[in-house]
Amino acid sequence: MSVTESRPDDAAVPEPLLRIEALGKRFGGLVALDNVTIRLQPGEFRAVIGPNGAGKSTLFNTLTGLHRPDLGRVFLSGTEVTGRTPHALARLGVGRTFQITSVFSALTSLENVQIALLAHSGRSWNVLAWARSMQVTQARALLDLVGLRDRESQLAGTLAHGDQKRLELAIALATEPKLLLLDEPTAGMAARERLESIALVHRIAREIGLTVIFTEHDMAVVFAVASAITVLHQGRVLAEGLPEEVRANPVVHDVYLGETPSDYAAEQERA
Amino acid sequence: MSRTKLGLWSVAALLFLVAPLGLGAFWQFIAIEALVFALYAMSFNLLLGYGGMLSFGHAAYFGLGAYGVGILMAKLSAPFWLALLAAPVVAAVSAAAVGYFSVRLTGIYFAMLTFAFQMLFFTVALKATVLTGGDDGIVGLTRPGILVDPAVYYLFVLFITALAIGLLYRMVNAPFGQTLRAIRDNARRVQHLGVHTRAHCWLTFVIAGAFAGLAGGLFALSTGSVFPGWLDWTASATPIVMAVLGGLRVFAGPIAGAFVFVGLETVISGHTEYWPLFMGTIIIALVLLLPGGILGTRSGRVGH
Repeated sequence: MSVTESRPDDAAVPEPLLRIEALGKRFGGLVALDNVTIRLQPGEFRAVIGPNGAGKSTLFNTLTGLHRPDLGRVFLSGTEVTGRTPHALARLGVGRTFQITSVFSALTSLENVQIALLAHSGRSWNVLAWARSMQVTQARALLDLVGLRDRESQLAGTLAHGDQKRLELAIALATEPKLLLLDEPTAGMAARERLESIALVHRIAREIGLTVIFTEHDMAVVFAVASAITVLHQGRVLAEGLPEEVRANPVVHDVYLGETPSDYAAEQERA
Repeated sequence: MSRTKLGLWSVAALLFLVAPLGLGAFWQFIAIEALVFALYAMSFNLLLGYGGMLSFGHAAYFGLGAYGVGILMAKLSAPFWLALLAAPVVAAVSAAAVGYFSVRLTGIYFAMLTFAFQMLFFTVALKATVLTGGDDGIVGLTRPGILVDPAVYYLFVLFITALAIGLLYRMVNAPFGQTLRAIRDNARRVQHLGVHTRAHCWLTFVIAGAFAGLAGGLFALSTGSVFPGWLDWTASATPIVMAVLGGLRVFAGPIAGAFVFVGLETVISGHTEYWPLFMGTIIIALVLLLPGGILGTRSGRVGH
């Protein structure tokens, strides 16, 4: 695949960390993404919101290489990465977490993080070294960062749900991503826990200068941390802007923020 | 490794070293079989226990290793050492080809594809009579003078299998093995960490094939013969039963499984022609009473 260096149209704007140009994806007759264009500046903490079936998951899966887009291009710091495989994108600095918590349940918390560190340092193939004593200090530092240091020898599968989410964050951070995609990072949590959890991610992202893009259903969480919001609706970008702009947007209000329970049920049925 | 574990391994090593030497040639032959099948079951468990890949065609690589030795020695007059060296190589090359296609699939589809390739090899072994002797197999393979004595060959096999199992131990505790376990638990997660998971599984398949081939080669040189039945689909069940019996999630589990299996088979088949009935009953009882295997623990954790 050729690597195309490309500059944005407007030379005054610095090259975004992530540039999505007119992305399109269909599944049979269903248009999941339609002409989606998003630019993400370094250091952003961008929320992508929208009703179920709006295309959030498809967008994430396309950005991380699980789906190939039918149309459009994706650039990471100016380098075209359209259609790359998940592992290639991960090596280019695209990290992610999953809506359904994805840890290695039969391994300890420390081992979970070590595996990610070993993958990042390109040592996964090593057949003769003792994995147990490799990159322990770094792994502990990461567990410390997410507050799981005292759980290092516990099997990941036996951790509480919230702790598994934090472990997954440590795993994702271990690969030192430039861009981190969080797919519903607070799914399955109690309301209070959600805000605490996203605040932790937000604080860490600030500290290490990480650019984050996340999907979220809880508007309290979104408005608490998002630096900007992109609203997707039926595969298209319906609105984009600062949180207060999006909140004030009447169209967004109609289709999403102000939706009544019955509208929501209808959405669910359609999705 | 803890001190207790080290002690247990030392005692086991001493037993393996001296016990069969006091026995007659028959039991020495059985001990060789147990060692060979221990290595075979270990190679299988690299796929299932560590990689979560249930191969239903693992006998292909055991059989190909054995046929590699048989054909090289009987038809091409190759020397013993070259033939033995070729066994894992032949198996690894075949596993590389089969694995290339098989690791694209998972679960039952992976099992079916490995099974289909095995049937292919079986048919070739049966029909390519000029090379393989067809139904009659290859007989009359001889070991060099120094290894003719079953007791000496036992020690030789012990040395090779110990070396191979030691190497497997290093591998499963290396980043390679840790990553493999992670793939077993959640392949997608590992992929998004930047690991080419399919290539990782493919390499695992090749390594497992190589060790199975080595086991097959050693066994052919123990019996002095190779038969197409070793490549038959029922032969692929043997390492599965041994590994499950001993414990999939414990490193030494398949060794215990292989020794119990070979021991039971030998003792019971010496007493009754209905031995499969008794074998089956005992294995069912063991699996029900010890769900994690003979060496298994209830936590379900892969031992270190």
